[in-house]
Formats: sequence, C-alpha cells, structure tokens
Amino acid sequence: MNFKPNRFLPNRFLNGKLSLIGALLLILILPQVVASEYVMHVLITVGLYIILSLSLNLVSGYTGQLSIGHAAFYGIGAYVAALLMLRLNLSYWAVLPLAGLVTAAFGFILGLPTLRLQGDYLAIVTLGFGEIVRLVFLNWDKVTRGPMGLPGIPSPQIGDLVFMSKVPYFYLVMGMMLITLVFMIRVSESEMGLSLMAVSHDEVAAEAVGVNTLKAKLLAFTLSAFFAGIAGSFYATYISFISPDSFTFMDSITILAMVVLGGLASIPGVVIGAIVLGVAPEVLRFMADYRMLLYGALMVVMMIFKPDGFWGAKKRVYNVIRKNLEQKQLLHKRGESV
Amino acid sequence: MFWQQLVNGLTAGSMYALIALGYTMVYGILKIINFAHGDIFMVGAFLGLIIIKQFHLGFVPAFLLSMVIVAIIGIIIEKIAYRPLRKSTKLAPLLSALGVSIFLVNFAQLVWGTEVRSFPPSLQIDTFQVGSVTLSNIQIYALLISFALMLALHFFVHKTKMGVAMRATSHSINHARLMGINVDNIISLTFGIGSALAAAAGILIGLYYDAVYPVMGYTAGLKAFTAAVLGGIGSIPGAMLGGLLLGVVENLGAAYISMGYRDAIAFGLLIIILLLKPTGLLGKNIQQKV
Amino acid sequence: MKKKIALITSVVLSLSLALTGCGSSTANSGKSGGAGGDKIKIGVAIPLTGAIAETGGTIKKAVELGAEQINQKGGINGKQVELVELDDKADPKEAAIVANKFASDSSIIGVVGHYTSSTTLAGAPIYNKAGLSHIAIGSTSPAVTNAGPFTYRDITTDAYDGEIVAKWTVDEGAKKIAILYENDDYGKGLADVYNKKVTSLGSQIVFQEPYNLGETKDFSAILTKLKAAGPDTIFIAGQYNEAAMILKQGKRLGISLPVFGSNGLYSDALIQLGGQEVEGLRAVGSFHRSADYPEAKAFIDAYKAKWGQEPDTWAAYAYDALNILFEAVKNGGEDRKKVNDYLTTLKDFKGATGTTTFDANGDCLKEPLKLIVKNGKFEIYKK
Repeated sequence: MNFKPNRFLPNRFLNGKLSLIGALLLILILPQVVASEYVMHVLITVGLYIILSLSLNLVSGYTGQLSIGHAAFYGIGAYVAALLMLRLNLSYWAVLPLAGLVTAAFGFILGLPTLRLQGDYLAIVTLGFGEIVRLVFLNWDKVTRGPMGLPGIPSPQIGDLVFMSKVPYFYLVMGMMLITLVFMIRVSESEMGLSLMAVSHDEVAAEAVGVNTLKAKLLAFTLSAFFAGIAGSFYATYISFISPDSFTFMDSITILAMVVLGGLASIPGVVIGAIVLGVAPEVLRFMADYRMLLYGALMVVMMIFKPDGFWGAKKRVYNVIRKNLEQKQLLHKRGESV
Repeated sequence: MFWQQLVNGLTAGSMYALIALGYTMVYGILKIINFAHGDIFMVGAFLGLIIIKQFHLGFVPAFLLSMVIVAIIGIIIEKIAYRPLRKSTKLAPLLSALGVSIFLVNFAQLVWGTEVRSFPPSLQIDTFQVGSVTLSNIQIYALLISFALMLALHFFVHKTKMGVAMRATSHSINHARLMGINVDNIISLTFGIGSALAAAAGILIGLYYDAVYPVMGYTAGLKAFTAAVLGGIGSIPGAMLGGLLLGVVENLGAAYISMGYRDAIAFGLLIIILLLKPTGLLGKNIQQKV
Repeated sequence: MKKKIALITSVVLSLSLALTGCGSSTANSGKSGGAGGDKIKIGVAIPLTGAIAETGGTIKKAVELGAEQINQKGGINGKQVELVELDDKADPKEAAIVANKFASDSSIIGVVGHYTSSTTLAGAPIYNKAGLSHIAIGSTSPAVTNAGPFTYRDITTDAYDGEIVAKWTVDEGAKKIAILYENDDYGKGLADVYNKKVTSLGSQIVFQEPYNLGETKDFSAILTKLKAAGPDTIFIAGQYNEAAMILKQGKRLGISLPVFGSNGLYSDALIQLGGQEVEGLRAVGSFHRSADYPEAKAFIDAYKAKWGQEPDTWAAYAYDALNILFEAVKNGGEDRKKVNDYLTTLKDFKGATGTTTFDANGDCLKEPLKLIVKNGKFEIYKK
C-alpha cells in the first residue's frame, strides 16, 4: 500500500538528504562555537523537550486523544533507567532500550481505557494516571527513596570516555532527537499515520473505512510512551538526580502546551513549540519575579490570537487525508490493486 | 476513630463540593475544563484573609465581600480568556485556562508572598465532645455554610427564572439562544456564581487548616475536579455527592491505608468509576453522535 | 517531503536564533567575572521561594552582611568578594540545576549551601564531580556524612542531636511517645535515631508516621490516628511550617500534649504561624540570641544594625559557613582545589555558632542548646 506519488520521490529524497546533512553539520559544529555551558544546557533541554513533545504529538496531535499525564511516562523512563543503573550497575547503553520498553508497556496499559473513553473523560484518566505514578514515586520509598529522590545517577561511558562536560550530552540528545524526528516523519507519511489521523477526525467514520481504530490507538499510546521513556532515561543520566517533583502535572501541561502552541499534528509546529516554550523561560529570566506572570499572560494572548498554534496543521491534515482518500478511490476506480 | 475520620472527611468533602460546583457548572454549559478554577479559589482565600487582617472587618462581611470580588474576577477572566475562544478547538480554552492559572499563582506570589499565612486568632477556636468525636466550631461553621450555599444554589437553579435559563443554556446553547435567552449573560452569571462559591470554599478551607498560600489552589483544584467528575460532570447534585464522597474516602484511606497514598486513592477511585460508569455517578448518559 | 525540509530548516533557524540570543548575553557576563577577574566569587544556594522561603530570606541577609563586612575591610587579598545567589526552592530538582550552574561557572570557587538535607544530597554528586567545595547550612541528615570529599557542613548531624532530644524527652517523664516525621532525609534520619534512643532508655514509641513536605496542609486524618494511639508526648521531626499546622489542627481535635522537636522547628516563623498553640514547645538548636561569647554577640549586633531585626539560627550558620570559605580563600588560595585543601584541615574556627572543626567526612560537632517557646519567644530552657 503506497499512496505516495512516485514521480516526486527522487527530488524529495535529495532535498531531504541535503537538509538532513545541513542539520547534522550544524549540530556537530555548535558545541565548538558555543562557549557557555549555560547555553549548552538550554540547548540540551530544548532537545529533550522536542523528543517529549513529538512523542505526545503522536497521541494528542495525530490521534486526537487528549493526554494530560505525559510526564508520567517521562518519569517512568527516568526512574527505570536510574534504578537499573544504581542498583544493578548496568551501563547507560544497556538501560536506554529497557527504559523505553518498560515505559512502552505502561503506555499500552494507559491505552486500554481509550477503548471505552473519549475526549475529556480520557483526559481525566490520563491526569489520574499521571498523579498516581507520581504518588507511587513519592511513597514507594523503599525503592524510589520517596521525596528524597535518587542522587548520583552515573554518566554514560563510551570505552574510557565518561560523559563529563555538556558536549557529549548535547550530541547524544541531538542524536536521539533526530531519530525521533525521522521516525515521526515516517509515521506521519505512512498508512499508520493516516489511520491515526482518521481516528482523530472521526472514529466511527474511520472504522467504517476499514481502519482498526483499536489497534491504531493502542499503537499510538505505546509508541508515544516509548519515546517519552527514552527521553526520561536521558534526563536521569544528564541531571544525575531525579525526584518525584520533576514529573508533576505542571510538567505534563508544559509538554502539552508545546504541542498545542506549536500546532497539533504538525511536526514543524511541534518542534517550534518546544523550542519557543523551552527557551522562553530562559529569555524571560531578566524579568526575574515577573517571569512566570508574563509567561501565563502570553499563553492566554497566544490562544486568543492564534488558537491553532504557530504552525496550525489542522486544515492541512484534513487536506492530506482527503487527497489520499481521493487517490485511493481513483486507484480503486481504475481497478488497480492498492 | 472511625467516626472522627468520617466527620473530618465530611468537612473536607463539603468544601471540595463547593469548589466542584464551579467546575461542573462551567463544564455543563461550555464543555470546557476551567483549570484556573482552583486558583480563583486561592484568590478568594487571600482576599478573605486580607480583608480581615488589613481592613479589620469581621468574618461575615469579609466572607461576603470576598465572594463578590471573586465573582467579578471570575466574570472578567471569562470575558478575556475564554469568550474569544468559544468557537475554536477544544484545546485552546484549556490552554488559555492554564495560562490564567499560571498568571494567578504568580500574581499571588508577587503580591502576597510565598509563605504560608494564617487567619488572626480573633476567630476563637472552641471544641466540643460528641461521644468519641471532637468537633471544632470552625468545622461546624464550615459544614453549615457549605450546605447552606449548596441548598441556595439548588433553589436558584430550579426555582428561579435565571436558573431555568441557566439549565436551558447548559442543555444547548443554540436552542437557548433561539428561545430568547441572553446566553452571554448566563455564561457570565455561571462564572460569577462558580467563582463566588470557590471563594467561599477558599476562606473556609483557609480557616479550617489555618493555612493560606499561593499554591493552595493546585491540590484543592485537582481534588474538586475529581469530585466533579466522580459525581458526573455537568450535574450539580453530582458535584455535591462527589465532593462528600471523595472527602470521606480520602480520609478513611489516609487513616487505614497510608497518609502518603491519600491522593492516589482519590485518583484510583476516579479511574475505576470512569471505567465502569464513564459519566460519573449522577451524570446523564450522552449518546455519541454519529 | 517539503514538510521535512521546512521542518529541518526551522529547527536550524530557531536553534541558531535561540543561540545568538542567549549566547551573546551570557558571553558578556562571563567576561566580566571570568578567570582573570578581580573579584572573588562565592555561590550561595538557598531557598528564596517555596515551602521554607522565610529561612532562605534570613540566610540571604546573613551572607550579604558577611560579604559587606569583608569588602569594607578591603576584601580578601585586596580583591572584593561577590556573591552569586541562586534559588533552589528547597526542591532537590532545582538544587541539581543550581549545582550544575555553579559547577560549570569556573569563576566560582566555593559555595554556601544548600539548606535542606535533600537539596544538599542532590547537589553533592555534582559539586564533587566538579571539585567545588560547598558548606551546607541546615543539612543535618546522617546521610550527608558520606556525601563526598567536597561536601562540608558547619552544623551537627542528627545522629547527635536526635539522641540529645530523645534523652531530654525521657528525662521529662515521657512514657508513650508519638513521632510525626517529614518523609525525607532529614525527618527520616532524625526519627530513626530518636526512636532507637528512646526505646533504649525504656520509653515506648506508640505511633510513628510520615508526611510529605509541602504536599499537604491537612493533618486531620493523621492526627486523629495519632490521638487514637494514646501517646503522652509528641515528637515532630520536620520543619516549622508543618509543625505549626500540626499543633493548630491538633488543638481542634482536642490534642494538647507536650511537643518536642529538633532544630528544624527552631525558627521565629514557627511562632508567627503557630501563635498561642506553639507555647511550651521544646526543641534543640545551636545558636541563641542570648549567647554570651564575643563572636555571637558581634554577629547579632551587626545583623541587627544592618537589617533591624534579630538573626535566627540559620542566619548564624550561613554567616559562619561564608566566613569559613573566606578563611579558606585567604589562607589556602584562589582556586577550587586550594579552597578544598584548606577546608580539610580547618580546625577551631571560632564563629557565631561556636567552634567548628571539620573531621575527615566534613562533619563537625557542637553541643546544642535546649530551648522552649515562652511568651511568644524561644528562650533557653531551665528546668
């Protein structure tokens, strides 16, 4: 099943490759140019936010299932990674996929209620899930050390090189970000992406045209959790300390705000949202005490004037679906196999 | 100990119910979750405290004044942050509400400071012994006032013309408009009443725990929201029932299971109820439109 | 694939925008205080906002006083001292960020902080990795002892204070004791030490439950449970905010028992918040305004002259910690390693909180004072 018109392929492929190389070069050069550790820290955080918001976009953007508990997955990934590294002395590279997989399992579990619930009710379940996960981190102190958190999480190591400065962390997070980005672009252009968008548009109609909505939703939740878990594992090893406070409702909301502010179901939009909201608090730092006040006010203003986000994809998404469905019908009419 | 915990639970629950009413009324009409509601509650608590401390008014005038001011604040917030978004996607008002919430918390921190404040000791504490249960006068006031307010609301919604208009709007905004109801006014009224009730709850909770602080709206808001969903969001008696039930379950859970898991018990209960009966205890079943 | 191109160009553009924006401003600030600078920079990591902001406020006043004093005397080795204050919100997550900031700013050669045990433990691995010495102020948890060679504190560990309160409680005739503790390094460590000592002295612990700092202000459920256990004395291993709530709400449930605590309760804010209900509360602490040795007197007078109010115990510890760092810079040298080398050998430093000598773990021992709240003030306890 390939709906993509082939005649564009070589050109597109080339352009895509070129810009990818450009991005890679920039990422390679950046740390040599940027002297300040602080700016490096902000860039690393932005990279992390991009992974997180892209992963949430899969559920809340493409599939249209409002989730306000995404920080729980981020937290599970971080705790799984930290505990395995601290208790079993595993290396970060061994822990990284495990953190992703365990978190994905939780994503699958949270995906299950979506079979029954929709809209705001589902949102509330995700909220409850997020709070419960945080409270378990907080109260299961035999394992998680409760509010004291887990200090001294080891750094990744390649051969004899232990990650000390911000530079290797920067490369690592940018690598993760690019992989996530490419994955998400692939998904959005695949049949699966179309199924997800169909679910978000109208579930009953999607079912009627043969989309397995149940499978689509579960897959979205599982994959979304996987990437959030990966991001969590990075956070744990990067900051070297995690506690339940890092994964609160407000953190879930921040990630959601990035997705919505950037533009639901639009990958460039989400990336921009993550960059703007990741950098904004730092840029606003000169406002000192008024910083968060302004941040809140800006959020309201933004929603009033641009409720679809910076790069609102709503209309474009439907166009894509319509175009693809038209093509499909066309092919059907011609009697070609799809 | 059981009876004592039950009474504690009912006291906390009656105040959750007051806040939950605001969530449920707004949701009933606009179908949006007003995440700033918990912070409106906090502002109410601070205003009450300041009117008593700085302007040396008595408890009753402070209580009423705070309700009126907060009602006006609620109406203004609706006009600025939600009204322009009425026709947009569902997520836009949600984020706008979060923006308002962040704004209010930081406003409170700037103006009133971050530390915990308490009411002046002029409000004397008396305790009574009823069997094995110790009751304080504050507990009794809190219970009486919240039940009185809930009854008043019930009467208003069911017996007055405005109340009928409000219910009609909640049923369908467009139909209500066709029937000649000024929908905008009704929505303002809803926000005003909801915010005033939250302010009342704010002062009562502030007095009951003797703690007023800028982030107090976060937990209380989440709990009240849970209560609203538990009872069936959009249903006024549901919010009352949900609030009381949540307060009791939570206190018993804290006493017999673990203090730390108290909130987890509340949210666990919420998820179970939603899975078994997604519309909450008293919510109406809404047919999905195809 | 236009999408992809647009996307990646947007990433590139925005990243570089973000970069040029922040990059230029921080580069400038870096220059002014950089390695070749003519100032000695000391980091101060304290809770300026959050659950225990009051304490952070007095600490801030104390260190600013200390810096002003030394600068008026011409600084250290002719160089002026500059404090870099960062807010850790008494939150371990923020503490890790603050620690990272200090660690990565090579012009900072020593740090005062953090205040709570959990924030100190969160920051310690980062400071130790960077070879940056820090002197913790209020972090009394036994776990801080093994936090690393660059971690110091000028306050006694709870392993010591807890035993003294325990003995005091039992001496006052307590037979059945209820413990309420803050569920973190400080509260837990203290509760454990206290529990062991009390039991060994023949009294009984009838109730022991944790609460989470800043998580709730509603203690009615836990207090109802406590009341049902029938204790004759309450021990609170936590902070003043929660202690005031516990006592006030306890009164409403008809609980009026003698209450003991440790240095976390020793703050004037306890009395401001708790009012009448904290009268008679007993706690240990290491510094009191009626202290009669010259260093304490000089500090109290200077603090009063500058700020128009009396210093609390944490102000005194912060003041001492800062002055210890000054000593280290003066006698050791102006880089991180020399500061640390000097600190390991610090002996008999006389300050506002008494005499400080660091042992091999960076700990010190000081005899605490027994205090009681009387007529709205902490007074030295006399039987």
